Amino acid sequence: MRVPQSWLSEFVDVKLAPEALADRLELTGTAVAAVHRTGETLDKVVVGRIVDKSPHPQADKLWVTLVDVGGTEPIQIVCGAQNFEVSDLVPVALPGAVLPAGMKIKRAKLRGVESAGMNCSAAELGLGSDQDGLLVLPNDAPVGLSFSEYQGLSDITLELEITPNRADCMSMIGVAREVAAVTGVQFNSPTYSLLDEGPSIEDAVDLTVADPSLCPRYAARLVYGVKIGPSPKWLADRLIAVGARPVNNVVDITNYVMFEMGQPLHAFDLATLRGDDGKAQIIVRRATDGELLRTLDGVERHLDSQMLVIADAGQAIALAGVMGGAFTEVSETTVDVLLEAAVFDKDSVSRTSRSLGLLSEASSRFERGVDPTGCVAALDRAASLLQEICGGVVAGGVIDSSPTPPTIRRLELRPKRLCEIVGEEIVIGDMINILEALGLNVEVAQDVLGVDIPPFRPDLEREIDLVEEVLRIWGMDRVTPTLPSGTGRSGGLTRAQSDRERIGATLRAAGLTETMTYIFAEGRDMAIPGCNSVPEDEWVRLMNPMSEEQASLRRHMFPGLLRSVSFNQNRGVPGVHLYEIGTVFSTAVGRQLPREHSMIAGVLNGRWMPKSWHDARVRSSSPKSKPGSSARVDDVLDFFDGKGVIETLLLDLGIETATFTASHYAWLQPGRSAQVITGSDVLGWLGEVHPEVLALYECEGPVVAFELSLDLLLTNAVSVKQYRDVPRFPPVQLDIALIVDNTVAASSVEMAIRESAGRDLHIIELFDVYTGEGVDAGKKSLAYSLTYRSKDRTLTDDEVKAQHERMLRKVEAKVGARLRG
Amino acid sequence: MNLIEELQQIHEQAISAVSAATDAGELEEVRLRYLGKKGSLTQILRGLGSLSAEEKPLVGSAANEVRVGIETALDEKTRAISSEALRLQMMQDSVDVTLPGRRRPLGRQHLIERITREVVEIFVGLGYRVAEGPQVELAYYNFTALNTPQAHPARSPSDTFYVRDQSVETGLKSHDSEVLLRTHTSPVQVRVMESSKPPIYILAPGKVYRRDIPDPSHLPQFTQVEGLVVDEGITFADLKGTLEHFCHEMFGSDRKTRFRPHFFPFTEPSAEVDVSCGICAGSGCRFCGNTGWLEILGCGMIDPNVFEYVGIDSERYGGFAFGMGVERIAALKYDLPDLRMLVEGDMRFLAQF
Repeated sequence: MRVPQSWLSEFVDVKLAPEALADRLELTGTAVAAVHRTGETLDKVVVGRIVDKSPHPQADKLWVTLVDVGGTEPIQIVCGAQNFEVSDLVPVALPGAVLPAGMKIKRAKLRGVESAGMNCSAAELGLGSDQDGLLVLPNDAPVGLSFSEYQGLSDITLELEITPNRADCMSMIGVAREVAAVTGVQFNSPTYSLLDEGPSIEDAVDLTVADPSLCPRYAARLVYGVKIGPSPKWLADRLIAVGARPVNNVVDITNYVMFEMGQPLHAFDLATLRGDDGKAQIIVRRATDGELLRTLDGVERHLDSQMLVIADAGQAIALAGVMGGAFTEVSETTVDVLLEAAVFDKDSVSRTSRSLGLLSEASSRFERGVDPTGCVAALDRAASLLQEICGGVVAGGVIDSSPTPPTIRRLELRPKRLCEIVGEEIVIGDMINILEALGLNVEVAQDVLGVDIPPFRPDLEREIDLVEEVLRIWGMDRVTPTLPSGTGRSGGLTRAQSDRERIGATLRAAGLTETMTYIFAEGRDMAIPGCNSVPEDEWVRLMNPMSEEQASLRRHMFPGLLRSVSFNQNRGVPGVHLYEIGTVFSTAVGRQLPREHSMIAGVLNGRWMPKSWHDARVRSSSPKSKPGSSARVDDVLDFFDGKGVIETLLLDLGIETATFTASHYAWLQPGRSAQVITGSDVLGWLGEVHPEVLALYECEGPVVAFELSLDLLLTNAVSVKQYRDVPRFPPVQLDIALIVDNTVAASSVEMAIRESAGRDLHIIELFDVYTGEGVDAGKKSLAYSLTYRSKDRTLTDDEVKAQHERMLRKVEAKVGARLRG
Repeated sequence: MNLIEELQQIHEQAISAVSAATDAGELEEVRLRYLGKKGSLTQILRGLGSLSAEEKPLVGSAANEVRVGIETALDEKTRAISSEALRLQMMQDSVDVTLPGRRRPLGRQHLIERITREVVEIFVGLGYRVAEGPQVELAYYNFTALNTPQAHPARSPSDTFYVRDQSVETGLKSHDSEVLLRTHTSPVQVRVMESSKPPIYILAPGKVYRRDIPDPSHLPQFTQVEGLVVDEGITFADLKGTLEHFCHEMFGSDRKTRFRPHFFPFTEPSAEVDVSCGICAGSGCRFCGNTGWLEILGCGMIDPNVFEYVGIDSERYGGFAFGMGVERIAALKYDLPDLRMLVEGDMRFLAQF
């Protein structure tokens, strides 16, 4: 809402400087988006007349204009606007001018054509928000005159952000009342008089309100014999200042009254309204499904039965509260004007304007709610302006569907309660002063204030609304800050919440960086093998996605992480190690809310660290490179790096019984994928992503991915760990290499060793896996370092040897292992 | 030359031989030459038996002195030589300490998660607990019970993502669905007030969703932290003190705060909270749009209508709620040029924090 100070001061004598007023408004609940100063900075902007207009030879949408600015020769200006004709008068910024937004005007070539200035729009001159075309001036503007001088006065315009509850502040009068209340000055209520001596409106117009629930009040006046023309300059200037574009005197007057009083008005050309018996018919009804209406903006609208329209005897002529129709629009040939001032249901207007994508100054006021008692005053104001400016004769009387007198409601405010809520001793005198400054009458009774609410403040419905009014004007800044004094509370995280943070910390210590991805699943996420077989009913679907590509919620997190891998690879990042703790969604027929599962997901790709001078050292110190398939190539992260991360996590959570078993997941590479299990719980999966899936995401492999259920990890985590004796007796260490078939899993060899050795076998560490020269084809060598140690004495070599050999025999029998020679 | 003189000579020769020795081998040679089985001092000591009773103690003690002297010199020299050898070895082992160290990979926390944790910690210190709620919500919790009118623009399908409700027949339009992606963390307020009795002091961090096309300052998915207090005798002054404490902890005790009255459907009185700009200290700059202030929070006293929905007596209990956008705080604190960086997973960005 733009409020020019010149207009505001008709109703209130503002004593504060504009910045001080803006601050005061901010601190009492009216946000000030900007303070615009117009006029005073428009040096070197003059009135010019377009004397020639030809298309720019190099650019479709540009014109080359010749403009008379009062000099000896017209000047040439290249111009992109489309709304002007030869002989129009426009403001012209000459070289050296500096426009309010800071633009400096210079001589320049635009696409090869010399341009010696700029033809200006209202927005460019800081005169409003209309930037769609040039500001075409009335025909009597003197060519060459300084625009500032022509414009008459410099002005200051406040751009206010009115909250949805303050319908009353959508007008100059409402803002003036608020300014008076918050700055402690007098509000000057305007009075207007009107002579309505023409023939009665009743003889010319019939009104039927078919749906009073959506239109509680519909009032109209009729003005005969108006002369259509441009508005006088003062009126046009004010409309420009609030961001509207002048059209003609009748339309401008309806807009002017709307900005001034907050009541939207509409003007119909009486001659275009159909009826019978020589009387025009106005019918307020719901549209029929599929009914068509061409609105003022020239667009054909398809209506439905949820929408309220104004119709004549034939068809819809206006979209109630949103926009008028083209057919009944006031034009140059209009003689008699029917003025409408109505109250429409705010929800209905809101729904209609949103479903048609049509927001107007009128709809934004109806949406907040207009004062139901203000219709006739607005009609009177507009009719008197029509009389004065357009020379019309006002028909006698008003037609009014609901000529209700203003109703005053009474609310009670307990001063003690107010102080309890605010936490500050505000004296009753202050409360009364504030409420009365807002235009509310206050009656003081025992322990309670009776407060009369005028119809222009429909938002004041409850005691708490009055508490807010007093607090915001008394001053939130005056409230002394305290902390809640209540006892009986203790802060902290639950175990699950702190374990969750701990999981994050462990993953970071293991080298993974946390990320965040969208919960929306893309089309290709749903096409991944293994995901594409999920029944349609089990996807959580958005009904109004922003794109069909993101119409579902994810069931897995790894696709989003693959997108990040690809993003990084495309930018040459040598290593990607990411984790996310997030939510996946699934549903089923019959469910209202979907299931939400918290998951931990991660991806690893490339290298842990950038290449380093240390790498060469590490390589040279490990004499033989291992030709076996499980050896990593050039430090590229693979399955075992992912497994190591999960093992570290499980270790930290005390989940010792977890096992990894070879498993098939359609999106993972067969032979390099595993399920993570503890007890009967499947904690999740891990593996290298299938090359075909990588291709779908344009990723270079290998990419290791995992997903673990956060809930299952938390329920299996061991919160209090058991103390175990630290070994006191010396160990005996033996290294062995066992040859087994390639198909034998390392875990079963280890299990066989553990089961076969006595209780003195303390630690088993696999330190080498080898295939190749010296080992038969189809076999592999597993080298273990075994530590024997007794809990209660020092073992002798002979004892260990005996145990060891017994163990080897059993292992050979169990998994077909033989000792490598 | 008598034996005593001879001993003195041996002593002098041995000492100079010790000091002339340059390594352990030479030193051993010296030891053998004087103290070995065939060493010159040993020879004399062996001959002691043939001396007279007067001479024996004199020569014996002199010889012993010489032996101790030589041994001491040998020991000292041995230490000197080995420490010299160690010094040389260490010189050889010296490295260029400016070469890069052998670093371990270290992951970082996401900026948004880090700020969220900071906020949580501040309020845990004030006695709050953390509450959570579903991300796919019912319109009742997201809007209705928060006193949001049926025709409120935020409910429209152009602003809010609606989710297919599988408990009813298909074919509904999106604005008829009662299921949606929560547009703020405030529904957690309602769920907590429904399920627990005052005193309630909770913080609810979480993801929220709005139908915004991603651009430098908007994401369709972002993070909020909601706070809720319900207790006897809660005042607006308590709200103000709580949030001033928070802003000082979060942004620094030199920052000022201001409360601007505002409107939210579920609180009354309501306010927006600004902190003074950290770049210009309140004098106005490009960063704060020349206002000197940065908007951080929305807050207010719980609206009695909300209490009515959850069955809490608004005459007995008071309460306040507040909410903040974590992405906005991140953008303000770190001057991020583009919020989309937060969801791209760019390692070069994530590793900065």
